Amino acid sequence: MLRNLSIRDFRCFTRFDLDFDPGITCIVGGNALGKTSLLEAVVILTRLQSPRTNSLAPVIRTGAKGLVVDGMVDNRHMQFDYSPKRRKLALDSVEQKDAHEYLQVARAVFFANTDIDLVRGTGEERRRFLDFLGSQFFRDYRNILRSYDKALRSRNAYLKMTPARPREVAAYTKPLIDLGQQLTELRGSLVRRLEPKAIAAFNLIGERDEQFGLEYHCGSSADFQAALAASAEEEARLRTTLVGPHRDDLLLQLSGQPAAIYASEGQQRTMAIALKVSHARLLESEFGRSPLLLLDDVFGELDIGRRNRLFATLPAGGQRIITTTSLAWLHDVPAGRLYGIKDDGARGRVLDVISPR
Amino acid sequence: MRKVEYPPPLQELIRQLHRMPGIGPRSAERIALWMIQAPNSRPGEISDAISRCTKTVLSCRDCGFFAEGELCTICNDPSRDRSVLCVVEQPTDILPLERTGAFRGIYHALGGKLSPLNHVGPEDLRFDSLLQRIKQAAPQELILALGADVEGEATASYLSQLLAGMPLRITRLAQGLPAGLSLESADDLTISRAFTGRTEVGRS
Repeated sequence: MLRNLSIRDFRCFTRFDLDFDPGITCIVGGNALGKTSLLEAVVILTRLQSPRTNSLAPVIRTGAKGLVVDGMVDNRHMQFDYSPKRRKLALDSVEQKDAHEYLQVARAVFFANTDIDLVRGTGEERRRFLDFLGSQFFRDYRNILRSYDKALRSRNAYLKMTPARPREVAAYTKPLIDLGQQLTELRGSLVRRLEPKAIAAFNLIGERDEQFGLEYHCGSSADFQAALAASAEEEARLRTTLVGPHRDDLLLQLSGQPAAIYASEGQQRTMAIALKVSHARLLESEFGRSPLLLLDDVFGELDIGRRNRLFATLPAGGQRIITTTSLAWLHDVPAGRLYGIKDDGARGRVLDVISPR
Repeated sequence: MRKVEYPPPLQELIRQLHRMPGIGPRSAERIALWMIQAPNSRPGEISDAISRCTKTVLSCRDCGFFAEGELCTICNDPSRDRSVLCVVEQPTDILPLERTGAFRGIYHALGGKLSPLNHVGPEDLRFDSLLQRIKQAAPQELILALGADVEGEATASYLSQLLAGMPLRITRLAQGLPAGLSLESADDLTISRAFTGRTEVGRS
């Protein structure tokens, strides 16, 4: 359970602190006040990455050198200092050499109102989804992913050089294949575990007469080595690695048809939510407790029936932090703590405690 | 009113110390003050030691390790086994290997690893002198003691291409369970590599 959060030089906030309820915490306010940034800060504190960007540099407040996120999860004190020059992790005030133990403390799912891009957007959105989940599910996922990325970028750097550097490219081919095969195996196993949970969530939230399907699509043929060799000619022409896990995708289907084209907007939203619910459910079943459930302004797009069914399908007992622009639906949600956020000119963003009074 | 600072020579000393790795502005100031104020600081000896080192400590012509003179103590030692050549990334990697006493052969430090993202290519590494040494000394075995990260793997893979067809055995250090660690506390990757690199303990 996340008890509190303190941030420094984070997006629009110079300094901001808030406490959370063990059950539901609600943050209400207009647009552009930083509600999403607060949830983003929770993700960065617990998972050391942003759900919105690949690099943390844009998260630092304009004009500041680095950001700090700090908070208590259960009885552990987590702190992360980040600047482009330096990153420092501390657990109970002890600096951590690597992120292994730090990342075991808390897990999180981020529901965003842009989640529909999981269905409509490019494969990058779906890889980001798989990677965010994979890094929380498998202990080695994050290291393998980062190493694969490094091997890929190194190999591509050699592919772009003139004159051609076939020996150097070949030197990076071996680690690329080794790491790529490991990544493919982990992602495949992840999707197999996710599928039944996503289908169950889709059926519970949406209509039962449509069939939701998801399938892992490997960015090379089953034999990565052979696929690389087969693409060698085109690779030399285009000067970049054309096959591999960086081209993986998660195929989403509605009754056998590609969901991006055939599903209605409502069905696409339900699918996206079902994916996020299955993310939460999978972590719950693996680790025996619900991850933090961060819901960023997702209710506006849902009718009352779907909204209530979404709530019913989320892991019970999971701590929920919800942001919204409107209080209209709040009587349905028993928030233990309700905050209003507003811009108070010189004092910056301030919180009003609406309840408990 | 004029802002009061340290006299320029002291400022210069602080600036020079601050250039050193791991020395921040506060540490630089402390060290500088210690040098000029502490009764036992003997700054002349420090300065002599620095200039002596930069003049006399060079890279060994053969292996790249630190040497006083043309060759290092390892390459000068006639009792070393010249049929086994161990390739490392940095000259500083030789010391931990030497401390174990497990290896009696000779070394070759490449001076880094293949890393296009840090602009280090084969031309920046001591591959040519390695090939020359192999041709001249004709060792029977080449041991690759490179890092297990992506760049170390790529460098090992580059070397094995480079040396393909040469009459010598190429091996690499085993990867596996750390000494004194239980299976339970090892990560999956380490365990899977330990499986791949398992050794026979006997046959029944």
